[in-house]
Amino acid sequence: MTITDRLFNRLVLSAVAIGFVALILAGIMVSASIQQNQEFNRRVDHTYQVQAAVYEYRVLAERAEAGRRGYLLKPDVRYRRVFENASAQLPGAMEKIRRLTADNPAQQDRLGALDPLVREQATLMARSAAMVARGRQIDAVGVFRNDNNLANMQEIRARLSAIGEVEAGLLKERSERQQAGVVTLRWVLGATGILLLLVAGGSVFVIFQYTRDLTASRKSLSRLNAHLEDAVEERTVDLRRANDEIQRFAYIVSHDLRSPLVNIMGFTAELEAAREPLGELVDRVEAAHPDLLTNDARDAVRTDLPEATGFIRASTQKMDRLITAILRLSREGRRVLTPEPLDMTVLVEGIADSLKHRTDELGATISIQPLPAITSDRVAIEQILSNLIENAVKYLKPGRPGRIHVRGRMEGPRAVFEIEDNGRGIDPKDHERVFDLFRRAGTQDQPGEGIGLAHVRALAYRLGGIISCESALDQGATFRLSLPAVTVPERGAT
Amino acid sequence: MSQHVTIVMIEDDEGHARLIEKNIRRAGINNPIKHFLDGTSAVDYLENAPEGPAHNGPALVLLDLNLPDMSGTDILTRIKSGAGALKRTPVVVLTTTDDKVEIQRCYDLGCNVYITKPVNYESFAQAIRQLGLFLSVIQVPGDEPTA
Repeated sequence: MTITDRLFNRLVLSAVAIGFVALILAGIMVSASIQQNQEFNRRVDHTYQVQAAVYEYRVLAERAEAGRRGYLLKPDVRYRRVFENASAQLPGAMEKIRRLTADNPAQQDRLGALDPLVREQATLMARSAAMVARGRQIDAVGVFRNDNNLANMQEIRARLSAIGEVEAGLLKERSERQQAGVVTLRWVLGATGILLLLVAGGSVFVIFQYTRDLTASRKSLSRLNAHLEDAVEERTVDLRRANDEIQRFAYIVSHDLRSPLVNIMGFTAELEAAREPLGELVDRVEAAHPDLLTNDARDAVRTDLPEATGFIRASTQKMDRLITAILRLSREGRRVLTPEPLDMTVLVEGIADSLKHRTDELGATISIQPLPAITSDRVAIEQILSNLIENAVKYLKPGRPGRIHVRGRMEGPRAVFEIEDNGRGIDPKDHERVFDLFRRAGTQDQPGEGIGLAHVRALAYRLGGIISCESALDQGATFRLSLPAVTVPERGAT
Repeated sequence: MSQHVTIVMIEDDEGHARLIEKNIRRAGINNPIKHFLDGTSAVDYLENAPEGPAHNGPALVLLDLNLPDMSGTDILTRIKSGAGALKRTPVVVLTTTDDKVEIQRCYDLGCNVYITKPVNYESFAQAIRQLGLFLSVIQVPGDEPTA
């Protein structure tokens, strides 16, 4: 299975997101559960307090009752004190219950219903106690027997128990709810745990897969790289061999072509030399025996022969120049480059000085701005720049004072030199052509074989450079040479 | 120049040979010229012929470097590393090659004069005539004193 980067990012991100959401949910649930628990504990406590208060009240009520009864039976002041003490505490205890159950209207109602009973009981007890105090003990016992004291007391007990039971019921109910909450929490936590495990497991699986894919692709990449280097090396060797072959071919061809040229020129000269005695012979025959001389013979010797030899000579000379040019190019291609640091400003000034005679004659000026220094082959650079500057001087527009500017700048690891002139310019359709061997552009009013720029381009390529031309007819021309600022010496140059 | 000195011309191009011969004669040199079209027969003559330079026959070699069967520099090496009189034989290399390295190599191998055949015939004729002048004053080793 392969995993794309996008898919991988999405998977991991969503896994992490799911994990976080689950954790947050679990956290919220736990926190809620803790809060609920605290609330529950508080309630339980409350219930016990209520029950305790009820119990306390009951004890006080019983004690008051017991005290009164004892007083009725035996009018001892101690019993009376017990009764009075307990009775005095009863309203406080009731108030306590009331306060504790303030949040429960049902309990309040119950307490409210209890109120008249309590009051009646208190009145009954106080009256009987008062009767005893006045010495009417018998009457008091009679009253005690006849009033509904006992029923009243039982009613109070029953009602207080009911209040306590209601609280106990509430407690039970809450306890059940709490239990259910704890169970739910346990389930949720369990589910979260399982989800986290799944997410973590899934993420680990996806990351593992992705890493495996990554490792595999890195391996294949490095394999490809190694292979690529081999392939490049192979091609380079092939190219170098082909290049050497072309150079050798050009060299041999140009040499072997020269050999027959020597003969053609030599024997043409011999023919010309032979024409002299022939011409004299024709002259003599014409003078002595005009009838022997035909017009054809006279024309052949006096016109046709010199014309033919003239053409042969001119063509051969031209051919020799072309062959010499090829030979020079091939020799340049075989020359080993020896890069050295070059002060370009000084170098170009030297070229300008060597052309001073011609520029003075033409009224042209060459201005040189400070040029960046480079490390390159001196001979090649000199030939390139002197060809370009010579061309600029050579193809000025007649009647316009020549202005030639040489500029230079660094562009990253490359140095760019520009030779701008205000000369006759080059038609844009010829911009490529001028760099071809034996091709020229524009009016053919200057000597040349169309070799200079071809040579310049070959040299620029050899140095790892590029040469280009910007120009329009009559608008001057700018030749731009871009070179590596540092030329590396060639490996295995031939 | 001694009348005995034979000019050994090793030149595969008959036209060139003819032009060289014509111009040598025009320069007033009348020594016999032995012409070889290939390296093998020339080396055979130089090393084995009874009247050849190896056996003290006074001679001067005019050598072209581009030969069909062997390189002119090989012949030069054989002459200059040859036995006895052969290595003292003056060698004039006369060829179309104007490569600096080639010229240096020939001088290193012991060539006495190196002349490039110019395509321009006037220069060519001039060069040969100057060679003729040179031949007329050069001292060539031989078994007899030069006259």
